[in-house]
Order: sequence, then structure tokens, then C-alpha cells
Amino acid sequence: MVPPLFLQSIEDSGLSTWLRESESPFAFYFVLLFHTFGLALLVGANTVVDLRILGYVREIPLPPLKGLFRIMWLGFAINACSGALLLIAYPTKALTNPVFYLKLAIIGFAVWVMKMIEDRVFGDSRLDESSMMARGATLAKWSICLWIGAITAGRLLAYTYKYLVYP
Amino acid sequence: MSFAHLHLLLNHFPIIGAIIALGLFLTGFVGKNEGLRRASLILFVALALLTLPTFFSGIGARAAIKDQPGISAALMDRHEGAAMLALFVMEITGALALAGLWRIERTPRQQRWSGSIVTILIFSILTVGLMARVGNTGGDIRHPEIRFGEGTNETGLSAFVHMFEPSPDRFTELMLISKWWWAFIMDLHFIGLALLIGTVGVLNLRLLGLLKRLPVAPLHGLMPWAMAGFGINVLTGLLAFIGMPGYYTFNIAFWLKILAILLVGLNLAVFYLTDVFPTVERLGAGEDAPVFAKFVAGTTLFLWFAVITLGRYIQSYNGTIPVR
Repeated sequence: MVPPLFLQSIEDSGLSTWLRESESPFAFYFVLLFHTFGLALLVGANTVVDLRILGYVREIPLPPLKGLFRIMWLGFAINACSGALLLIAYPTKALTNPVFYLKLAIIGFAVWVMKMIEDRVFGDSRLDESSMMARGATLAKWSICLWIGAITAGRLLAYTYKYLVYP
Repeated sequence: MSFAHLHLLLNHFPIIGAIIALGLFLTGFVGKNEGLRRASLILFVALALLTLPTFFSGIGARAAIKDQPGISAALMDRHEGAAMLALFVMEITGALALAGLWRIERTPRQQRWSGSIVTILIFSILTVGLMARVGNTGGDIRHPEIRFGEGTNETGLSAFVHMFEPSPDRFTELMLISKWWWAFIMDLHFIGLALLIGTVGVLNLRLLGLLKRLPVAPLHGLMPWAMAGFGINVLTGLLAFIGMPGYYTFNIAFWLKILAILLVGLNLAVFYLTDVFPTVERLGAGEDAPVFAKFVAGTTLFLWFAVITLGRYIQSYNGTIPVR
């Protein structure tokens, strides 16, 4: 089966060609770098909140960790933008690989869980720490598993693609 | 400077350093001197970091001299295998020492050294012994006057130790045995990255003034998670290097990344061994950190992001250092 033609038109565009073929250190690898920065902020901040909700490092007061959600959303924004650019650079590579859709689905779930933790655990200032932990325990476990899954699916994209560019 | 030169500059530190650190450790216990014990652990951590570039520079040194007359590939293989075993034991000793340092800060005086002391002692003695053998087998490459007999035939204790030393080529093949195994190592490297940056990031952002509602002292409890992340990444990074030694050796981004990691170590020393840490540890919710503490926190964050940046660019800076 031949991949749909619109993939070829994206690859022929100036931006896609430049990202893919430029020798400049500010082309493809720069975008990839920001995708990694975003990962560090998004998953790193989530990990700290999840661990604390699950009862590790209990000496850290839970409510002020709410401030970390700003960092998570910043990381998410960076990765949505850098991810879009990576997709423009190699649309055939991504969109013909089932793992890419799996990755998007996992991230969708992970971000949904993150929003639930933000609203249900940190959104109600009347809750004391133990009720926050009780409410968040299941969500935090899901969060950790989903982010590990998202990173794993993302890494697998480098090893599972069928076409690098339009055949 | 060539890799052979760099290797000679670095290779005495792990060997002599481990002997000194073990000496400090023993003296500290016999003399019940808390300061000496602490100094020995700090030295082991520093040596574990310094052993990384020492090992890495060996591959380049080997490439530089392999075609010279009188150089035996078998002797270099034996040295490299001995170095791999000593390296892993040294890294374990460093990890135990780091964990020990963290515990000293947090546990009451009388409970401090139970249990972990024997483990650290065993691993540091092993490190000294194995490092001595690395030095000996390394010396044999260039100094026929100190060799016992011909070739790599060994007897007694060295023959016994040799059974545990990997064959460098086979270790490399093992890492490349399947692309899924490689993908798994890389996956763990990214998971370790997220764990490390998340935990280290929260502490340093707090010191810089974000997340100010958090008191500082409890954030120190995140450090074992940071150490776990760093430990995963040292291990997976070493396995990756062993899988493709030439690829990383002749790559400028890789070496700058290692340099940045060593600078992180230096920065940590400034943070924990000067009065910065005792000062910021007392900061409660809403209190501002002193300017110098902010400078150290900012530098730490900058260096970790530099490590990520240089790591990301390894792929595109392939072959940027000439083999000769």
C-alpha cells in the first residue's frame, strides 16, 4: 500500500525540507532538543507530584506542589509545538507507524490524568493532605505508568518506522 | 592533546585516589573521626565521576597506539577487560558513598553507620584491588620490563580475577545483540533523565524563587530519587558507550557532555560542602534564598540542561574528533 499523497506534499514544503536537510545545528536537532526539554519539564514535574501523592517524601507539604502544574503545562506546550515541527519534518515516517498513534493516545490519557489530578486533588483548597492523597492515589499510579509508556512509545518511534521519507 | 595523553593524565587518579580514600575511611573508623569518614565518602564519589572519562579515554588511547611496534592487542584487551570490571565496582562504591553521605545528613548520630559501613568497606577494598590490577595490566602494555613472563598467561589470584573480567569485544557484541535491547537501554536513559531533572529541578527552582511556598529542607528528601535517576543514566550510558565505543570516543558533543557532568559534580561540592546548604536548609515557606545560593542553583540547572543539550547533539556530531 502506498502512503497517501498529502504526506509527500508536506515533505516537499520549504519548512519540512529545511528541518530535515539543513546542516544547521538549529534545524532538526534543535527541535528534537526542545522536545527533550519539554519531556524533562512535563514528566519530571509530574513524577515529583505523583511520588508525593503516593506517600514518598512525605515531609514535603503537598498543597504548594500545585505550583508545579504551571511547569507541566509549559512542558506540554513546548512539546506540542516541537512535536508538530518534528511531524512536519518527517510526516510519512510518523503517520505510517502505528506506534505513533499509540504514543498520541497514551499522551492524551496522561494529560487527562494530569488535569484530573490538578482539578480533583489540588483544585479544592478545603482538602487536608490525607484526603488529597486518598483522592489522588489511583490517578498518580496511572500517571507514572502512562508517562513511562509515553517515553517508551516515543523512543520506539526511532526503531519501528517503515518509511523514513515518502517512498 | 591526544587521547593517549589524556588517558595518562587521568589514569592515576582512580588508582591512587581509591587507596587514599580507603585509607581515610579506615582511619576515620578506627579513630572515630566523623570528618575523615565524610571526607573519604566525598573522595569516593569524586573518584567515581573521574573514573568515567578515564575509562572513556582508553578507547582513543588504544586507537592511537595500536599500530605501533611492540604493542600487543592481547595485552590491551586484558587491560580493557580489567578496566571494565574495576569501573563497575568503582561506580557501585561511588553510589554507596553518595547514599552514605545523604544518610549522614539526615540520621541521628548514633544510628548513622549501622549496616552500610560493611558494604562500603567491602566495595572500597574490592575497588582498590581491581584498580591496582588495571594499573598493572595497563603498565604491561608499554613496559616489557615489568611483565611476568610472556603474553597474557596468568596464575594464582590474577587468573582468578581474570575469570570475572569481560572480554571487551564480546561485551560490545552483547550490547548490539538486538535493536530492542538497545532501544530498552535508551528508553531507560530517558526515564532516568525525567526522574533526575524533575527532582533536582524542584529543589533548584525553589531556591531561585519559584515555588516559594515550599520550605527547602523537606525537598532534600527528593535527592535519593535524583540519585536513582542519575544511577540509571550512568549505568545505561556506560552500556551504550561499551556498545559503540568508537562512535562516542570520536565525538566532541560526547566529551563536552562528560565535562558538563563533572562540572555538575563540582557545583554539588560547592552547594553541599560550603555554607550554602546549611543556610538554605533553614529556609521556611515564603523565605528568599541568598544571592549566592541562587547563583549555585541557577548554575546547577544550567549545567543539567547543558548535559541534555550535548547528549542530544551526539548523533549529529558523529566523527567530529579525528582518530589520529
